[in-house]
Amino acid sequence: MAVGLVIAGCGQPPPVTGTSPAPSASASAAASPTRGGTAIIAIWQEPSTLAAHYANQTVTDVVNFGVIEGLTSTTTDGEYVPNLAKSVPTVANGGAKLSADGKKLDVTWELKPGIKWSDGTPLTSADIKYTWEIWMKDPKTNSRTGFSEIESIDLPNELTAVVHYKSVYAPYPNNFFSLMPKALLEKEADISKTDYVRRPLGTGPFKVTEFKAGDSITLEKNTNYRGAPDKPYLDKIIFKSVPSSQVALAQLQAGEVSAMWNLTEAQTPDAEKMAGVALQVVPGPTVERIELNTAQNKENPDPNSVHPVLGDIAVRKALLYATPKQQVIDKLLFGKAKAGSSPVSQGWAAYKGTQEGYDPAKANTTLDQAGWVKGSDGIRSKGGVRASLTYATTTGDQLRERVQQVLLDEWKAVGIEVKIQNQPSAVLLSGSCASKDPRKLGTFDMVMYASTPAIDPHSTVASRYHSKQIPTAADCSGQNYTRFKNPDADKAIEEAGATLDLEKRKAAYNTAIKLLNDAYVIIWMYDRANIDARRTELQGWQPNVWQRFTWNVQDWYLKK
Amino acid sequence: MATKSVAVPVALRRSTAERSQWSMALERFRAHRPAVIGLVVLAVLSVLSLLAPIVSPYDPDKTQLLALYEPPSLTHPFGTDDLGRDLATRILYGGRVSLSVGLLAVTVAVSIGTLVGVVAGYYGGWIDSLLMRFVDMMYSFPRLFLLILFGVFFKGMTVGVIVLVLGVLSWMTTSRLVRATFLSLKSREFVEAARCIGAGDRRIIVRHILPNSLAPIIVAATLGVAAAIIAESTLSFLGLGIQPPTPSWGNMLNHATTDMDKAPWIAFFPGFFIFLAVVSINFIGDGLRDALDPRHVIRG
Amino acid sequence: MGRYVTRRLLQALPLLFAISVASFAILKATPGGPLAAYEGNPDFTEADRQRLEHAFGLDQPLPIQYLSWLGSFLKLDWGYSFSSHQPVLTLIGERLPNTIYLMGTVFVVVLLLAIPIGVLTAVRQYSVFDHVVTGATFTFLSTPTFWLGLLLIILFGLQLRWLPLGGMATPGAPFELGDRLRHLVLPVATIALVQLGSHVRYLRASMLETIGQDYVRTARAKGLAERVVVMRHALKNAAIPLVTVVALDVPELFVGALVTEQIFGWPGMGRLFWDAATRSDYPVLQGILAVSSTLIVLANLLADVMYGYLDPRIRYS
Repeated sequence: MAVGLVIAGCGQPPPVTGTSPAPSASASAAASPTRGGTAIIAIWQEPSTLAAHYANQTVTDVVNFGVIEGLTSTTTDGEYVPNLAKSVPTVANGGAKLSADGKKLDVTWELKPGIKWSDGTPLTSADIKYTWEIWMKDPKTNSRTGFSEIESIDLPNELTAVVHYKSVYAPYPNNFFSLMPKALLEKEADISKTDYVRRPLGTGPFKVTEFKAGDSITLEKNTNYRGAPDKPYLDKIIFKSVPSSQVALAQLQAGEVSAMWNLTEAQTPDAEKMAGVALQVVPGPTVERIELNTAQNKENPDPNSVHPVLGDIAVRKALLYATPKQQVIDKLLFGKAKAGSSPVSQGWAAYKGTQEGYDPAKANTTLDQAGWVKGSDGIRSKGGVRASLTYATTTGDQLRERVQQVLLDEWKAVGIEVKIQNQPSAVLLSGSCASKDPRKLGTFDMVMYASTPAIDPHSTVASRYHSKQIPTAADCSGQNYTRFKNPDADKAIEEAGATLDLEKRKAAYNTAIKLLNDAYVIIWMYDRANIDARRTELQGWQPNVWQRFTWNVQDWYLKK
Repeated sequence: MATKSVAVPVALRRSTAERSQWSMALERFRAHRPAVIGLVVLAVLSVLSLLAPIVSPYDPDKTQLLALYEPPSLTHPFGTDDLGRDLATRILYGGRVSLSVGLLAVTVAVSIGTLVGVVAGYYGGWIDSLLMRFVDMMYSFPRLFLLILFGVFFKGMTVGVIVLVLGVLSWMTTSRLVRATFLSLKSREFVEAARCIGAGDRRIIVRHILPNSLAPIIVAATLGVAAAIIAESTLSFLGLGIQPPTPSWGNMLNHATTDMDKAPWIAFFPGFFIFLAVVSINFIGDGLRDALDPRHVIRG
Repeated sequence: MGRYVTRRLLQALPLLFAISVASFAILKATPGGPLAAYEGNPDFTEADRQRLEHAFGLDQPLPIQYLSWLGSFLKLDWGYSFSSHQPVLTLIGERLPNTIYLMGTVFVVVLLLAIPIGVLTAVRQYSVFDHVVTGATFTFLSTPTFWLGLLLIILFGLQLRWLPLGGMATPGAPFELGDRLRHLVLPVATIALVQLGSHVRYLRASMLETIGQDYVRTARAKGLAERVVVMRHALKNAAIPLVTVVALDVPELFVGALVTEQIFGWPGMGRLFWDAATRSDYPVLQGILAVSSTLIVLANLLADVMYGYLDPRIRYS
């Protein structure tokens, strides 16, 4: 049990495929870092807010890694390491204690002494408690997951906080990922109306000195940083808003910026050829998938109804067999992704099974055997039902549209007619029945999108593949969009949630995912990588699967 | 009944006059060389697009992952695109979409715009106020927004939806131009004269004022066709265009923008054909303007 | 004239009210919602969703949502963005100057060029100059804005490296006029070339028409210099259609050019609108729609008043 809690986040080190001159620890240690200078980083989405408790964009993390810190941070292996805390509390070191009945959890955090906010006020355990309070009090915060499990927090001294969880909340080490300053904010009635949303106060190596909406965000060296005066090496980092990743890459090539966030796979061949530009390709936990609706395509269908075409497992199988994943990856993603096989591809619970590969002949045989007969136009039908489906993804996403068109063609070749019916992401991914999310309403045949699991996979697996999580008119909350129902899978998921034994949890998730894959309701297209690029004079980068590329920005420096 | 014998010769006289007027217009149009060339080019483009399945041996949607970005050659005169499809074939099929979007959207827009402009400008008063406030209201909705709405409402953009939306959202300029001419002409001597001899509203509008506003309508319409074809491509740029795999010159051009360095031909051909079609249409409009304007004197 | 303007302004109030109701209805009828942004967070639960919907007032009945927006709007409290939590007035306030700066430059450049070019092409119809201008205007009118912008970026930014690829100024550098101007060139050129084409076409067409008309012939017959005839008699009347088009450009000064701002990363109103539209950020969209509709109403009034000045045959009562 003790070990279980600690290892909850760590597992097999995932492979790190750094293409181009990947920055290595030895390289940065060998060349002695130079101090000073400004790094300009192109971002092609703008953080609408920097307040950690409101933020819901990846790009906010990219900026905030230099500014706001938490008690712990995560290594590329998914292991928690202390950051503002002296150590990661575990059952073994006595920091985490289960109650006698095993239903509650107390976690004792001890802060490193002498840490200051960038305005010079000392960091104390009261800030930990305040962070929890504000997360629960402010109505506009992002997810309260974790914080809502906390019953109370005791502050025995300036540097110690004891967090009392009312349940055994396994991902507790990562709960306080962003601390908020009590002294600055406690008198504010509504933080959203303060300057904090654009110039948050943190303990990180940099502080935000200017936020020009739609233009740039300037970070300057935090002289109160605990690494000072050695670190950070850079004096200034400017995040420059550019309209698209194409412009970002062009500016990187022209030397107008020293790094850029998030390249598309299609940009990598060009970027690799550019002189003085290095790529960092880090595998990520995000999985692009095509989900197949097994219930009727109509608003709030009976979960037990059967889709006239996709209700037949032969059709679902054929769609998978006729999907050339590897070719799509090689040709359209330029090899910068891995064929998918499950919702959990990284970390300790990673699923090791695979999905059948491309075999159009097998797709044809499967359909022939199931009685789907080709008509004069080459499209199959069975019992008067034509094998004609719709296929939705987010509008205007070029990569997705390319993938769609290739698949359309492949599927047509085996006698399944598919029509593209894309919708804006504000609709397709709204996650709300009121906003007409077709996945929630059940008004789709096939839908392609990406989703990222947390380091602990439980919420992803449980909320997406348990039969209780099928959204209905009465309760729209579930995310089981394919309407997949399997009592054995349900049982496995429930078991995984009821034990802390890592091996048992892992086996249970694997069982559930295997059953899911055997039902052929999801085509796991590919696991996407995070691709960022820099000019080679900017040194000190380190890949990290679970973080953004700016996670170690205090170690960055400009080579003269 | 008694008037019938009188009416016939009047009608006859008029039609003779009309015929000579039209044949003169045709002559003037023929003399406008760019317009004639434009008409020929447009006709060739239209015919080739219509006959695309006969002209081209390829399936426009057939992707070939092993033949991406092939430069122009004998087998693929315009090369292949980002999914290995024959670009020339897609240009032909795309022409069907782009040309019909342009022409149909403008037909819709000019019809609505002329009707509204005539009614507002001729009758004036509260009708004018009401219609112009409606025009103001239409203007004040960003087109983009309504397009998103329509796109979602119709579950994706088809040619019909785009035509309807572009047409319904772009008649206002025409209506304002027509109204302006009517405001300016309705108090002119020749209109007063027509009214004095007892001409009805309909006659005054159709026979006396409307022909005088043909020039601005034609200019607006030709610019409108250009604008509609371009609007379709801009919609693609914003991710609101005609859904793939159906090709249109606009969405082909947009999809090529990321590959402009790597495979310039993918971007060149759709861009070139948009240009060719729009220039032809503009020249035709120019020729029509010269031809239909009897006061117009051709100089040097 | 004064009474006419007052009456039109009074008429504008119910119109603006109607527009705000209609735009609110359209916003709400459009599927999609502001909470799509949270999709990426695996920890985001249904309880979180309901809490946020309540915090944003999205769980209220529609008429109440509208009335509470209208109430605070009239008190100059335009609400807060769902995504940045900034006051809508602040957001508009920080983008508006950038857009006026860009579009104002375009407006001046286009007018300064369109009038002489339009007049000259008409006066020297079918001359080499006319053919060149006609060819050029047709070329630019036939080029999609985004395409032209990207071409300019590739040519002058990437290949020749003469001009920056986007933005308003070099980030981090101190203010410098030359730097500002260099950032201005490409976006202004992108919008101006296309607008210029259409303005020159309108002016040329109506100039040709007026030149052939009786009063211009009379003026000529009176022995007035050709220059005076063209400028004072023909241009003044030929400018009427141009005034329509130009007056309708005025709101664009404030609303911005969405596509161009998007291509050049210009932090103006167009991008604010587009970002808000893709995020279903209703308070921001409502605010921008209110500003733009007010401006359009005023611009139309301006156009009508200018007709009266330019063409004395039009009488307002």
